[in-house]
This record gives sequence, structure tokens and C-alpha cells, in this order.
Amino acid sequence: MDSERLSTTFVELADTLVADFDVLDFLHLLVTRCTQLLDVSATGVLLADPAGHLRVMAASSEQVRLLELFQLQNDQGPCLDCYHSGRPVHVTDLAAVELRWPRFTAQAREHGYGAVTALPMRLRDDVIGAMNLFSSAPGLDDADIQVAQALADVATIGILQQRAHRQSDTVVTQLQTALNSRVLIEQAKGILAERLRMTMDEAFTTLRAHARATHRHLSELAQAVVTGNEDITSLSAHRPRSRSSD
Amino acid sequence: MPDRPPSRDGLRLWTMVAAHAADRGGRVSVADACAVAASAAHVSGAGLTVMTRSDSGRVVCVTDDVSARVEELQVTLGEGPCVDAYASRAPVLTPDLRGQHALRRWPAFAPAAKEVGAAAVFAFPLQMGAVRLGVMDLYHHEPRSLASDELRDALVLADTATMLLLGGETGHEDFLGDASAGLLSEREGYRAEIDQAMGMVSVQLGVNVEVAFLRLRAYAYAEDRSLTDVCSDVVARRLRFSADPDAEPGGGDGRAPDVDE
Repeated sequence: MDSERLSTTFVELADTLVADFDVLDFLHLLVTRCTQLLDVSATGVLLADPAGHLRVMAASSEQVRLLELFQLQNDQGPCLDCYHSGRPVHVTDLAAVELRWPRFTAQAREHGYGAVTALPMRLRDDVIGAMNLFSSAPGLDDADIQVAQALADVATIGILQQRAHRQSDTVVTQLQTALNSRVLIEQAKGILAERLRMTMDEAFTTLRAHARATHRHLSELAQAVVTGNEDITSLSAHRPRSRSSD
Repeated sequence: MPDRPPSRDGLRLWTMVAAHAADRGGRVSVADACAVAASAAHVSGAGLTVMTRSDSGRVVCVTDDVSARVEELQVTLGEGPCVDAYASRAPVLTPDLRGQHALRRWPAFAPAAKEVGAAAVFAFPLQMGAVRLGVMDLYHHEPRSLASDELRDALVLADTATMLLLGGETGHEDFLGDASAGLLSEREGYRAEIDQAMGMVSVQLGVNVEVAFLRLRAYAYAEDRSLTDVCSDVVARRLRFSADPDAEPGGGDGRAPDVDE
């Protein structure tokens, strides 16, 4: 791994954390950088809600988001095992673990993934979620896994750092706030997708680009979009260029 | 090694809510969620107030006289943990109302609440993304903090209350009839599609996301399909809702919404 890129990534993430930041924007940056830095195909971050159900908080692609959902829906997969045990789960060859997670391995291999590493996101004794990295076999080596775990720890810090200034905040309430922001973003994506006739992926990219361009938090913008306080046509300027419209 | 269980807390708590309703001999309501929240969090009582941005709130249920006074005080005075939880969209936990912090923050409410017998108040917003319905308050007769498992249970029950409030509006008694399977599983996994569909349908019908959710829910009910299924169809653009009153989905004439393709 390129050590210069590694340090640049950590500096960038640390810079984000000291500023006033939006947790979902931060997690999106993290999964994107993680995917590039470790040269994996995709990265996803899942958090547990208060009832103990995992929910997808960030994914580097729509495809991996669906695969993460597939694990949750079928109640099987390395990510769930990792969350439940609090230990890393490292699979170098998905073909060899078909008996353990038959439906998950079939689905993952269909998407072209050959290996997966699931790392716990933990704070002291609490496991708050898991980070998953999908790649071709044989997947990450030991050095990569250490870096990935460090990035998972940074994700944990980011989530718990958010709004930490509120006196009554606890880990549980902070997680709840982050989870509700995710719901908000999905609702805003739905509105943009319908109003601007775009895909959910494009809607997210558009939201994110507009938030950046106007120096606003992603969740604040999403809030304005959902409550009808945002001129949606102005967001179409940030519509991602697609082959058909170019 | 963390020993936190790979929990099915939602199911455990839902079973308690359903059992409470059965004991009462009624259908499951927010009152049951409040009662179970108070007992799960080991506090003296609970109350629930429905709020909107424009008005101060309407008390929907309380477990005892003290919680009734706590809710009324906040509505009357326009201040308190409940008001702040609604405004900030985040739980407001006040383990000791006698503390300087509470007195500074709520100069009228804090002493008045103490007077009626509440020493600690924990307020949880009832929300789903941009949808804000109100607040569930727990109170205790003496100062205390919530342990993390108590807090977790309270949050789960606030979510349950949110769904009950939303479901109640549809007037379908068995909205949560097959509860353990229905609601809880629908809120996991594919929930992003539910939220995305709420946004899409709100544009299609020109209504807010809350009303859009009710319409999706009513349509799923009328068509005897799961909410997740219906929402996936909306997101995949296989199903559209129309604002044309003659084509109301799941409405008076029972006609299906416009379906593309």
C-alpha cells in the first residue's frame, strides 16, 4: 500500500473530524477513501439501531448497499457474524464458505466478489456496528486489515463525535441521531428522484454536491428538501453528468 | 469480549406491548407502548404528547396523575425536555430537575415539575426522518439516570409508538396485527426503500412525507401486500400514485393507482 496515500487519507479524515461536520457525509467520504486506499471493490458501514438490528449507513456503491441489505434480510453473512461476535471475520475465498452462508456467498459471488473482510466498530465494550470490505480473492493481507481496522475505528469516532457537545448525549442517543439522519437522506433522495427524474444514486450525488457547493450539512439540506423549504430546481444544477445528457 | 446479545429486543418489547394491550382487553395503542416503556426503563411513569410545528401539543396518553401533570405543564408553559426534544429532534435526558442546568434551561417547568412529583424526565422525539409526530416522556419520582439498556428499550418503544401513531391514523385495527412479523421485519433490511418511496409518493401526490407514508400503508393494506413490496415497486417505478381524486389508491372506490408499463 502507498504510505503517502495512507497518511493523506488519515489527515483528510482527521481534518473533517475537527471541523463542524455531517456524520453521513463523513461516512460516505470514509467508505470512498477506504475503497480506493485498500484497493477493494466496495466498502459498507452498518450500524445497529437500539433494537439491535443492523442498518446500512454508508456504502461505496449501490451494488454493495444491496448486498449488505441482502445479508440483513437473510440474517446471515460475515457482517452479522462480526457484529454478533465483536470479532473480525476474514474470508479469503467465498467459494470455500458456501456451507456457512449459502445464500450470502451465492449473492456475493454473483456480484463478482471473491473475498470479504468484516471488522467490528467498537467503543470500549460496545459493538456499535461493522465495516465490510468486498474484493476479489484472496482479499486483504494482514497489513491491509490493520489499516482497515484503523479506518473502522475512525468511523466509530466520527459517529460518536457528532453532536458530542450536547450535554445529555450518550452513545445510544448519538447512534439514534445518526440513524434518523439516514432516514431523512433516503426521504430526500426519493423526492429528488421523483422531481428531477433521476436514479437514487444520482439523487444522492446531487444532494451531496449541492450541500458542498452551498457549504451546508447534508442532513440539513435533506431536511429542507423534505419539508419543502428548498428550491429543488436549483439542485438540478448539480445533477451528475450522464452519458445520455452529455 | 462484549457480551451484548445479538438482540431481538424489538421483538421482546413488542411482545410486552401486545401482552399489555391484551390484558387491557383493547387493541394495541400508544398507551401500551408508554406503559411498557415506563416498566422497561424502571421509572415511575410515562406520557405522550402529539405536537406540530404550529401548536403547542395535545396530550394523548399518560400512565398516572404525575405524568399527566408533567405533560400538561410542558404544553401550558411551552418549555421543558419534551419541547426541546421535539425542536432538536434528539432525546433530552434530565436525570435531575433540581440541578442548576435544568433550572437555567427551564425556569418555569423545572420547579413546577418537581412540585408535582417528577424529579427526572427523559424525553424522546417520535420521528421518522423528517416526520415529527410528538414526544414520549418518561419521568421518575426521584433523581436517577437511565442505564444504557433502559435507554435502548425506551428508544425502541418510542419507535414503536411512532409506528402506532402513524398506523392509528389509517384506522386499520390489524395494522400491527401480525406485529412481530409485520412491522418489525418491515422496518429492517429494506427500510431505505420505504423512506425513498415516502419521498417519491409525496411528490406524486403533492403531500408531505407523513401523508405519503399513510397512503402507502393504506394501499398496502387494501391490496393485502407488504409495505416493503409496495415501496419497492414505487422505487422501481412500477407503481405510481396519482393526485387525481378519481384514481385514489386504496381510496373510497378501491381503484388501484396508475401503474406504469
